Amino acid sequence: MADTKKSGAVRCVIVTPEQTSLDTQARSVTLPLFDGLRGVGPGHAHFIGRLNAGEVRIVGEQGGTADAVRRLFVEGGFVEVAHDTVTVITQRAMPADKVDATAARAELEKVSSARAVGDEAIDAKLRAEQAARALVRAARGR
Amino acid sequence: MAKARALDRRRKSVKNIRKITRTMELIATARFKKAMDRSIAARDYTRHLAKILENIGGVGADAAHPLLESRPTKRTAVLVLTGNRGLCGGYNSNIVRQSVALLGQWKSEQVPAQVSVSGKRGISALKFRGVDIAERFTQFEDKPEFAAVAPIGQEFLEAYSAGHIDRLDVVYTRFHSIAKQEAVTETLLPLTPPQTGSGGVKAKLASDEYDFYPSAASILEEILPASFLSRLFKCFLDAAVSEQVARMVAMKAATENAGGLIKSLSRQYNRARQSQITGEIMEILGGVEALKK
Repeated sequence: MADTKKSGAVRCVIVTPEQTSLDTQARSVTLPLFDGLRGVGPGHAHFIGRLNAGEVRIVGEQGGTADAVRRLFVEGGFVEVAHDTVTVITQRAMPADKVDATAARAELEKVSSARAVGDEAIDAKLRAEQAARALVRAARGR
Repeated sequence: MAKARALDRRRKSVKNIRKITRTMELIATARFKKAMDRSIAARDYTRHLAKILENIGGVGADAAHPLLESRPTKRTAVLVLTGNRGLCGGYNSNIVRQSVALLGQWKSEQVPAQVSVSGKRGISALKFRGVDIAERFTQFEDKPEFAAVAPIGQEFLEAYSAGHIDRLDVVYTRFHSIAKQEAVTETLLPLTPPQTGSGGVKAKLASDEYDFYPSAASILEEILPASFLSRLFKCFLDAAVSEQVARMVAMKAATENAGGLIKSLSRQYNRARQSQITGEIMEILGGVEALKK
């Protein structure tokens, strides 16, 4: 912990139900919070937040160049920021360039053409649509 | 000669069986290690969820979520996790016994139970006992994946919030250690509320450090289903690990037993052969004696 402060880095940990899929040091991390993107650098105030489906961008990872960006697609979840450590807790995480663009588009098509009746179903549909859109965006950003 | 030859044949077949059981033991050992690694890797997620829950509990968000509220049980659901394959000692039968006892209890209380079973062994055993099985899963082997478990959990969550079921019990084999696994019944729905009683002051201090976006209550709402799914997933992982351990132990015992059997058969075979030779010599000697006369 002490050496992260000296180096001005944040530790980024991504945890899925199956495993800890990433544990790395970086200059900053951008998170898809429920209401928009939020960047977290060293010394950020502690918070717990809800994530939307979207991209986590890890900037300036240790061992790479200062501007290198690693992009990961996460399917919602939570984030905990404390003591220069960003812990992303999500059900699914994968590298954004592994997202299959055609499959993502097909998913969006399917979700948006589905009929929803009732408040809850509409909510669920909007959420699914939003997640599918994020997936398509992640695929396009390659 | 006939007896000796029959003994030899039996010895050969026992030797073959020993080869098979030993191989199965080795395979089960390898699978167990892999399953164990997966199970350990999965602990992080649960730990982090628990930490967030603790912080939310500390901030005093009211824990009045539908998933936490316990209703009178009018309809219940039971999920039974068994293996697809046998040859693993009492693993499957323990689960079946446990679930039959549970179902009998619900029956005596006149509560209709919707039974879902994973694993061919459990499906056939429960069918034999006349249990009406609503849903069957046979796709889970030694490596259950979260992506496969999540839809099942989602279905239960939906049924619970729609009021189709008031309770969900999972019958599975909990893994304590290599030496101890036990068939248990765990109630997953309604969820047991996050424990805030322990170290309340400490939890409060910890949570003062955090801001919640959008709010503690809203995060609680989202985190409870996630925590349910992760607990369900843990049941599947535990069942997979326990199955491999059970098979490993059973096959080890079978191999040892086959070794003992081979030893005793060899002894019998040698004795039979020796007495046969002795008999033949006696016959020859008798013939010689007769010729001398």
